[in-house]
Amino acid sequence: MGKKPVPDWLNSSLWSSSASDDRVSRYATCPSPDTRRHDSPPRPPPPRPPSPPPPPASESGSSGKDPGPASLSPDEASRQSQLIMEISKKFINVGELQRLVCQGVPDGTEIRSTIWKLLLRYLPYDRALWVHELNKKRSQYKAFKDELLLNPSEITRRMDKSEAVKSEDVNCKGSGLLPRSEITHGEHPLSLGSTSVWNQFFQDTEIIEQIDRDVKRTHPGMPFFSDDSSFAKSNQEALRHILIVFAKLNPGIRYVQGMNEVLAPLFYVFRNDPDENNAANAEADTFFCFVELLSGFRDNFCKQLDNSVVGIRATITKLSQLLKKHDEELWRHLEITTKVNPQFYAFRWITLLLTQEFNFADCLHIWDNLLSDPEGPQETLLRICCAMLILVRRRLLAGDFTSNLKLLQHYPTTNISHLLHVANKLRGSLPS
Amino acid sequence: MVLVLALGDLHIPHRAADLPTKFKSMLVPGKIQHIICTGNLCIKEVHDYLKSLCPDLHITRGEYDEDARYPETKTLTIGQFRLGLCHGHQVVPWGDLDSLAMLQRQLDVDILVTGHTHQFKAYKHEGGVVINPGSATGAYSSITYDVNPSFVLMDIDGLRVVVYVYELIDGEVKVDKIDFKKTATVQTPH
Repeated sequence: MGKKPVPDWLNSSLWSSSASDDRVSRYATCPSPDTRRHDSPPRPPPPRPPSPPPPPASESGSSGKDPGPASLSPDEASRQSQLIMEISKKFINVGELQRLVCQGVPDGTEIRSTIWKLLLRYLPYDRALWVHELNKKRSQYKAFKDELLLNPSEITRRMDKSEAVKSEDVNCKGSGLLPRSEITHGEHPLSLGSTSVWNQFFQDTEIIEQIDRDVKRTHPGMPFFSDDSSFAKSNQEALRHILIVFAKLNPGIRYVQGMNEVLAPLFYVFRNDPDENNAANAEADTFFCFVELLSGFRDNFCKQLDNSVVGIRATITKLSQLLKKHDEELWRHLEITTKVNPQFYAFRWITLLLTQEFNFADCLHIWDNLLSDPEGPQETLLRICCAMLILVRRRLLAGDFTSNLKLLQHYPTTNISHLLHVANKLRGSLPS
Repeated sequence: MVLVLALGDLHIPHRAADLPTKFKSMLVPGKIQHIICTGNLCIKEVHDYLKSLCPDLHITRGEYDEDARYPETKTLTIGQFRLGLCHGHQVVPWGDLDSLAMLQRQLDVDILVTGHTHQFKAYKHEGGVVINPGSATGAYSSITYDVNPSFVLMDIDGLRVVVYVYELIDGEVKVDKIDFKKTATVQTPH
């Protein structure tokens, strides 16, 4: 069986993984997906500069601080204005929005929050319905919190009130024996019954402790999450509440370590919404978007499904197949010669949606692409992972087990647009 | 929401072998934040067992305790409440409300927990509340042989306390509760 030749575009010097940005590649277009053209007027093609413009301020902020606003190049500015125009329309054309977002949401813009909400189907495409939808969802979240975040003392107090238990005013003056009353529903703190509120509370404490620990460890370098300020503390509280409500509403998967990492970028983006009302309600919005985002990836977190057709192992195998299809030499070298089992590196890439591999700002860019690609986040994620492997192919081909594993577990900083462009080229149906 | 276990007068091994099994099955570590014990354990093994339920353990000396280092009285603050602890054999007449009220005023506490009579009681008077958790093993007392095993679990939540009384009557655990609120302390200039 003849070896498939390495495609020419792979051998091009463009794909060197050094951090020196090759500006030309940034302005390559992405192929237009099937656009469902409604009655919107034909759009002018995005203007392409004749020569590389001066490099804009670095998008990938240092990991020690929050990504700050960047000055925009003319091309980015035009993209930004197009995006703003698109989301300000009365009926948003989702295909058009996806196409625009694929090219990247420029940094320093504050529209990412609205865009992500649209892409995650939290906001309806009809602008007129936004206010109603938002209010409905936010009050629903508030009801969840009221119901699920109570401690048992308060629950029993409410039960007493509803049972109209006579509580004599034991505050009054005078002495004597205190009256004993019956307990409602057999609820007492040491109850071992499975339906007892107290028992359930103590069983949940383990999960809540785990959530607490993980929330405190989220992004320790970013002041947004781990400062000593009350702002950071309130952010951590919000993350905590969202994860606890999610765990209680989903007894199937509860909380798994790593969900906090998937939650963090969502909350960050929504909390930094320029609209004050939206920023104040970021917690509720994040909850629903988190549920939506996780709905596609739930099976990766479920331990019982690990070995099934939909579990994480199957997904990793798909990645392996994708690599084999596009770059058989690399695949052979990685898996067979150096025996680097994809589970060693791809597990974290896939379950945490690449949040741990790149710095925060780059991660937001990748997520732009993940959320906007019409093929869906699962397929896009696999393509991006495959692209990550292909970009460092030279180093991988030259390395042995130890060096390859080390490289893949500490993936080097790359130009993200590069990466996304390569991922784009890997489109095409996967043989099932 | 702080859970405080109050018990005492176990008299192990002299008058009783162990806590009733039904009580022991309910008392698992990890649920209770504080334990206050009126005394008369009497041996170190009981102390260790209670310590395994909860690391924050407070004990006062009963007349049969083998460890002479426990104090005669103890006060502690949990949440908004000041609790006082004393075995009760020092207060004569045993179990008399007025004498216990004197002790309570002396210690300046909202809730006084004493034992020695091996009978559960919960009194209220102007100065505060006096709780006697009884004997957790049902050991006979200096006064009577007819003793039901009992102990008390307090749920302190802000200014409100719910006292759950656990008694073993005819082999079955019966739970009652007592609810009371403390008026917020008002600083009045005299």
